[in-house]
Amino acid sequence: MEATSIVKEIPASLWETAAERLTDLILSAPSGFRLPPGLVHSILYVWQRDQLATETGLSRLLEAARIVDAEKTEAVLTELGVQVHAVASLRGMKMVWKV
Amino acid sequence: MVKFGLEFVPRELYWKTTFYAIQAERAGFDYLWITDHFNNRNVYVSLSIVSAYTDRIRFGPGVTNPYLCHPVVTAQAVASLAEIAPGRVVCGIGVGDRTTLGMVNTEQVKPLAAMRESVGIIRAVTSGKDAVSEGEVFKVSGARLNFSIGSPIPIYLGAQGPRMLSLAAEIGDGVLINASNSKDIEPALGFIKEGAAKAGRSVDSLDVAAYTSFSVHDDPKRALKAVVPVVAFIVAGSPDVVLQRHGIQPEVAAKIRDGISHEKWGDAFGSVTPEMVEAFSVCGTPDECVEKISRLVKLGVSQFVTGSPIGPNVRRSINTIGTKILPNFKG
Repeated sequence: MEATSIVKEIPASLWETAAERLTDLILSAPSGFRLPPGLVHSILYVWQRDQLATETGLSRLLEAARIVDAEKTEAVLTELGVQVHAVASLRGMKMVWKV
Repeated sequence: MVKFGLEFVPRELYWKTTFYAIQAERAGFDYLWITDHFNNRNVYVSLSIVSAYTDRIRFGPGVTNPYLCHPVVTAQAVASLAEIAPGRVVCGIGVGDRTTLGMVNTEQVKPLAAMRESVGIIRAVTSGKDAVSEGEVFKVSGARLNFSIGSPIPIYLGAQGPRMLSLAAEIGDGVLINASNSKDIEPALGFIKEGAAKAGRSVDSLDVAAYTSFSVHDDPKRALKAVVPVVAFIVAGSPDVVLQRHGIQPEVAAKIRDGISHEKWGDAFGSVTPEMVEAFSVCGTPDECVEKISRLVKLGVSQFVTGSPIGPNVRRSINTIGTKILPNFKG
């Protein structure tokens, strides 16, 4: 499953909340944690344009969050009402950027 | 109208600092200052990436020093940044942090002369002129850049003591006063007025910034907890005259200093009192911070810099500042 497919499972009314929750998770990454530079720059580009709470923005955040902490990302998705099958697909999600 | 700045120490991963920089711009901050210590990420690398992902916020080193970075190299760096982000670059310079300079056996030689000469060199070089200095600290003959930038780069001097404050007002475009409390800011402004008068200029021509330790949270206890470690370091590094001004016994400060030097953090942080927090930070709920900032603005501060730690959670604290503090000052 691709990140955009999982994002589409999040109710649109919760996209702002999802962006905040995933951002917090990513920012909690410990010092020295490595994210793929391309992914990071992509997130910063989208954030600069205030587009984190869009399909593109959330897809990027989801990929980064999954790298930082897959278990906590699953918990966030569950809290946001994402269907069980979509949450379960997170770990096998097709990643655009490789660590 | 008072301007607001935000200070980051680039201890974090570069992309976190950049994320917060974007957030700060969006929240309405006017300036971003990034500290320069050799043991954190390089200040100009950090500023370069910030410049690429922001559009309006002004930014610069806060502060570099002429002992580890020759003024011509500082001039080169800020001029290069100005090419990337025209009109947005400022340059903060000071005598540096004694602790980190001490780690590389570097003395703060003739600080007043070093600062005067550095500012002269940086101004000349970034203005496209030849820098010539037969100074006590720097001797430069005909240094110039091979490229030019459109407009001058404002230079701010970091200052705390009377003579440096006076010098800053005499030769700088701005002053970064290393203080958070009106008991320190008020006398500092007096020295700034003296320096401005010496140069035949009005204080109004200067951007006078209170460069504070800051912590905000709706729960004042959480704000306090976040700021204690920073205040401990400030107390440890403060001269006796400053400690006495706030009724802090030098022996207590020595105990904190000792705890820090031996990495006994419990001893050091456990010795920080509410009086110390009040003296060396702006800390509390949004309303409490608004009241403290207002006091400083009334004294004549034209820029308020929210420095470390900002709050228990940086992202949320920047949001809090943007929604609950800035609107009180920016209309």
